[in-house]
Amino acid sequence: MPEQGLRETVEAEGVRCALAVPEPAMYDKTFFVQVDEAKCQECGTCEQFCGTKAVRKTDSGKRRIVDPAVCVNCGQCLVHCPFGAIGEEVSYIKELAAALKDPDRICVAMVAPAVRYALGEPFGSLPGECVEGRMWAALRRLGFEYVWDNQFTADLTILEEGSELLARVTGAMKRPLPQFTSCCPGWVKFVETFYPDLLQNLSSCKSPIGMLGALAKTYGAQKTGRDPNKIYTVSIMPCIAKKFEGLRPEMNDSGFRDIDATINTRELAYMIKQAGISFNDLPDEEPHPVLGDSTGAATIFAASGGVMEAALRFAYEEVTRAHLVNVDFHPVRGEKGIKAAAVNLAGLEVKVCVVSGLDNARKVMDEVSAGKSPYHFIEVMTCPTGCVNGGGQPLEPGTRFADAPFLRKLCIRLGIPSSPRRA
Amino acid sequence: MKRAFLMTRRQFLKAGSTAVAACMVGLDFAGEAWAKTQDFFSRRLAQVYKHDAEMPRRKSQDNPLVKQIYKVYLEHPLSERSEHLLHTEYVSRSKAIEQLKAVGVKVDR
Repeated sequence: MPEQGLRETVEAEGVRCALAVPEPAMYDKTFFVQVDEAKCQECGTCEQFCGTKAVRKTDSGKRRIVDPAVCVNCGQCLVHCPFGAIGEEVSYIKELAAALKDPDRICVAMVAPAVRYALGEPFGSLPGECVEGRMWAALRRLGFEYVWDNQFTADLTILEEGSELLARVTGAMKRPLPQFTSCCPGWVKFVETFYPDLLQNLSSCKSPIGMLGALAKTYGAQKTGRDPNKIYTVSIMPCIAKKFEGLRPEMNDSGFRDIDATINTRELAYMIKQAGISFNDLPDEEPHPVLGDSTGAATIFAASGGVMEAALRFAYEEVTRAHLVNVDFHPVRGEKGIKAAAVNLAGLEVKVCVVSGLDNARKVMDEVSAGKSPYHFIEVMTCPTGCVNGGGQPLEPGTRFADAPFLRKLCIRLGIPSSPRRA
Repeated sequence: MKRAFLMTRRQFLKAGSTAVAACMVGLDFAGEAWAKTQDFFSRRLAQVYKHDAEMPRRKSQDNPLVKQIYKVYLEHPLSERSEHLLHTEYVSRSKAIEQLKAVGVKVDR
């Protein structure tokens, strides 16, 4: 890549971000993640975490993502690279900073569930500590006029997607079973690329951010009395692949671009630090009420199994018309890559499966392709354990070779699969 | 001359360095074991479910704002307006993969 040295880049929480935004028409021919060959030490760790074999050894021994078409932009290679050689090729940091200063733009923050569980880490919080109160406060201080909660549209997704599922199961809707979730942009691109025969199985529901983008410039603009033409919607995600989703040409149902910019948790932390905001001294604030209220069912979207559990909490009451007392559904929780369960809804047996990691997804998908899948509803998240550990989240301490424990250093050098968690 | 030491200098260095190496590996294992109980990913996951349990409402259908938006704007799930704003269609991207294969790029899912 000859232009690498000339490009404007910043380091956001230990990850190189090129301050470049692709032309909309080029969104599917753009690398969102790429290896810097000058920094690559040829250890091969990235290959162990790539679900589509997009990152491969070149003739020189260095690794490189072969083509944007093969990469689902999940960033698992990036968050595991011991040498910080993998960076983001698309970043809205600069464009967003300009929009926040522009008096003619009304900036709207739309924040995913998982962001609040990791944004505190760059400011010294314990892993997973929920910092949503301070997060809303920080966004307002950055210059966002409205801070809307993507958890609201997670709840809305459940009503739409749950209703769709019940319509498929009862035969009211002529679409095939099993139904797949469609929240995860890496997974959606994976199906579109490698299992095009099963596109009808994907829920027609947009992801929660796809829904919020469209509602922000219609319902949201109406309720706040603002000109949708001036609204600049910013999706804030634990994810790199959401940048691709935000650029999809069909995301224009509001009559405008539904999503104007997408940043991730690391980039938000970088912007908060750059603005000199003392994050830990901020008061707890609430999201803006027009599109701000949410439930526990929405916050668990951050974990693999969360969408399924939330959908079951809805489907149970919808089918049985009875009040669900114990809402905890443990069989779909936990870190296992494939979790299966059967639920009896007043005589209607619904078989569900929860998958995280694309290697696991491939096993389940091959079953579906062969017509041997017993399930009605399958949730898939590209990142192992779900969004809370997504490719756009702050890195786990010990990821980089320099801070790695001795055994991991040895594994990296010997090319043995290792992560900071499991050396 | 009476032997003052139990081992020679060379033996002492050898035993000493072996002991130090064993300690380092031991500590590293202990560190790993401790790290596992403090597992980063699991801690993030656990916080999500902890927060869910603390929320006053835990079912999407109980969200007052969801009820409100269906009442005043979307009518009901899968309504015409819902289909327009909240639903989408997908495109096959398999052609790009075929093209890569045709020019000899190694691709397999």
